[in-house]
Amino acid sequence: MVKLVPISCMSKQAVQMINITEEVHKIVAESGITNGMVAVITAHTTTGITINEPLECVETDILQRLEKLVPDDDKYIHAHFLPSYGATSNNSPGHLKSMLLGNSCMFPIQESRIVCGSAQHIYLVECDGPQTRKVYVQMMGE
Amino acid sequence: MIIDAHVHPIYFDTICEDDSVLKFRSEQFGIYKQSPYSYEEIIAEMIYGKIDRSILLPLDLTTQSGGCIVSNEEIKKIIDRHPDSFIGFASVDPYRKDAVEVLENAFANLKLSGLKLNPSKQRFYPDDKLLWPIYEKCREYDKPIMFHAGLSWEPNALAKYANPIHYEQVAVEFPELRMCLAHFAWPWVREMMMLMIKYPNVYTDTSMLYMDSFNDFMERIFMKEMEPQTLERNFAKQVMFGSNTPRFRAFKLKKAIENLPFSEKVKTNIFGGNALAFLGEEK
Repeated sequence: MVKLVPISCMSKQAVQMINITEEVHKIVAESGITNGMVAVITAHTTTGITINEPLECVETDILQRLEKLVPDDDKYIHAHFLPSYGATSNNSPGHLKSMLLGNSCMFPIQESRIVCGSAQHIYLVECDGPQTRKVYVQMMGE
Repeated sequence: MIIDAHVHPIYFDTICEDDSVLKFRSEQFGIYKQSPYSYEEIIAEMIYGKIDRSILLPLDLTTQSGGCIVSNEEIKKIIDRHPDSFIGFASVDPYRKDAVEVLENAFANLKLSGLKLNPSKQRFYPDDKLLWPIYEKCREYDKPIMFHAGLSWEPNALAKYANPIHYEQVAVEFPELRMCLAHFAWPWVREMMMLMIKYPNVYTDTSMLYMDSFNDFMERIFMKEMEPQTLERNFAKQVMFGSNTPRFRAFKLKKAIENLPFSEKVKTNIFGGNALAFLGEEK
């Protein structure tokens, strides 16, 4: 069986870690899939999906490191008018942070539950907010 | 009070119920790959950017394109739902035979706060006498005009109509009429300054980003095309913060202006005080 469930999240900061673990676990538990795999995939190029421990200090370190690696005020080429959008591109830091984070994660499903370590939480990381974002939870199994 | 003086609400979901209307707007405004967003999203972005209110601008293109990018009634609908967040302007196509009646209705019945005109898109010269009855109506109701000026990203919108030089006679003949030539009339920044030096009823806004990043462009305009003290000394009461949302994101432009070495007093004016004066709420 293959099942796809979208999740909608609204960020409220320019860069923000949104913990979506509970929602993803609930979707898997209710999917009817007993054994298989689940992939959590963002639909955007200025967000990331990452797995980490849900401690405030860890979240702070992740966000601060992202900021150091990809500072907002650096000289980016993606900073000009885009006729195909009718708008100006000015979100290169979002694209680069997204690249560092990756767009997805995967877990095994066993006995209708996600198999993961207790510290492994799933984050949608907003890198160009605030905006409403879509994440796909794709499950495959029997 | 922080006011964004230049917002086009074309993707506000309150007025995006009809796909064909949305398509018309997108094509006429020349903006693509964006989708309607909810009031919650709009407010989240305003809160994040610490922006209290936004001036919403419609555009009547009845004779040029057969419709409105956003109509006066749609602006009224948004304002009625969220009067604390938004200030609504009217628009009228100057070539409409009923132009003055449309404007009268917008001010008297819809209670809109000003007029938006776009000479480039609506294809008129601001100093054409055709406009005089419209300016008279604004003067009668003490309502300001937000003009597009300078380069326009919209298709079929010629910059020649929006050269600051065509606004001088209006400033002369209607000295009580508060008028904003938006976008600092870029690329005619010197001409914009020329008008502001001579005519205190002429305002401009910061809704411009024609190349480079927000920081680079604001620094170019306010620190290089003019001396660092030029705005502080000469135009402290005539420049309003405006974002041109949805082309540019307001909080990013705001941050770039905050980074400029203006005094706190001038920043207070730019971010709200001048807009209140322009609106006639603070004499």
